[in-house]
Amino acid sequence: MAGATASRNGWIVWLTFAIGLLLSVSPLPQFMEILRPLWLALLLAFWVLALPQTVGMVTAFCLGLAEDVLYGTLLGQNALILTLITFLVLSLQQRLRMFPMWQQCLVLLVIFGLAQLVQLWLSALTGNRQPTLALVLPALVSALLWPWISFGLRGLRRRYKIN
Amino acid sequence: MRLLVLVVLSVALMVVDARFTLLKPVRSQMSLVLMQSYWITDLPQRLWQGVASQFGSRTELVAENEKLKTENLLLQGRMQKLAALTEQNVRLRELLNSSALVNEKVEVAELIGMDPNPFTHRIIINKGERDGVVLGQPVLDARGLMGQVVELMPYTSRVLLLTDTTHSIPVQVNRNGLRAIASGTGNPERLELRHVADTADIKEGDLLVSSGLGQRFPAGYPVATVKEVIHDSGQPFAIVRAVPTAALNRSRYLLLVFSDGRTAEERANDAAQAQEALDQHGGGPIIPATVPKPVPAVVPAPAAATPATAPAATTPAAATPAKPAASTHPAKPAAKPTAAKPAAKPPVSAPATTGGRE
Repeated sequence: MAGATASRNGWIVWLTFAIGLLLSVSPLPQFMEILRPLWLALLLAFWVLALPQTVGMVTAFCLGLAEDVLYGTLLGQNALILTLITFLVLSLQQRLRMFPMWQQCLVLLVIFGLAQLVQLWLSALTGNRQPTLALVLPALVSALLWPWISFGLRGLRRRYKIN
Repeated sequence: MRLLVLVVLSVALMVVDARFTLLKPVRSQMSLVLMQSYWITDLPQRLWQGVASQFGSRTELVAENEKLKTENLLLQGRMQKLAALTEQNVRLRELLNSSALVNEKVEVAELIGMDPNPFTHRIIINKGERDGVVLGQPVLDARGLMGQVVELMPYTSRVLLLTDTTHSIPVQVNRNGLRAIASGTGNPERLELRHVADTADIKEGDLLVSSGLGQRFPAGYPVATVKEVIHDSGQPFAIVRAVPTAALNRSRYLLLVFSDGRTAEERANDAAQAQEALDQHGGGPIIPATVPKPVPAVVPAPAAATPATAPAATTPAAATPAKPAASTHPAKPAAKPTAAKPAAKPPVSAPATTGGRE
């Protein structure tokens, strides 16, 4: 019984990550491209808060590598960023769970903003620096999306009894 | 602790990936699976197109058919003229003893994804290493140059577009052969010509074609049209803005250009050998005596550089003006348009072109 649920759990969690990967490369209209939410970071944040034993920094690292291959960036660039995000969420885990939703959004905004800044530094090192500070916009959009992601995934988790 | 390990690992990976080619196989193996996601995200559009073509009304199809037929007719009419012009061009080049034009082979590829990063202009196409695509290969669409291949994966590849901020292409003005470098600006509708002198003969509406000087893009493909030229007396150079002729953010079907992998020298040698073969058949070109006689001291040096060109020349003195073009590389006529033009003009008016045919 326990084994069956565990295997099903893994399946659902990895399915959401696969969908996240698809969403992160799905075509968007031109004006929305700079607003593309950090889907993987959002999903990771939720699953790290929900299942800190199963989803951790190693998962984040592997997903980051996958994203690097998809984006054609240096292997390890997004891995580093997702690992950092996961680390920050993990270390704030106890407090984040107690916070009301708007406060969670604020904390995640700061975390994603920091991650995007690291992203800026890394891409500046590799020679294609973005000309504007528009790169903090995805962090803002992701933070605004957090309540919906959180409610949706919580419903999914209740329904399939993932724990 | 785990964070430290992972951070060090990812930094190490980044350094290795940037400096060495060690991780290329890993990347291509991963891309084999992961690049499918571009295909999957493209699927809805593909399905929609399929459905639309399935249920397209008959009148629409008939109208489209009509339109395509007229277009085909027009293009074929233009092709007839082109055939004659190509023939003439080949003959003139024979007269100048310069290397023959290389015919490039093209293959159609389809766009399957855009790069999600809005600050880079890269696209993903459905042809990869297994289809014979090579790094740095030029990519065209129906209207002009689009960019070059920058990353190879087994069945897909990534193409850097002309308008990316990290991309520049050597171009020349089609009207007078003025050379320049067109750099991307990050705006999909704009290229900028860098370091164009304020007095340079360039004006609005000029067509810029690739000059082939970078040895990467084939010469003579349209790149952009000049949109505005701003002369600011406070600036050391004129500000020249151009619009790419290719529909960089609309084209779905692209052409990959396969130019031959020979080096410039090999190409010159081959051209010279072909010339020699022609001469032995008796159909060789007659070098007109109207070509201005150059300094004779120049003669031995190019002849020594490419021995194969020497027998091809009937009279060494008359053949020399064209020889540098044959001995260096084919892009040379494009590189020295001002120098080549006065030499090229007399043979055009001379009756030698028809004389060679008789």
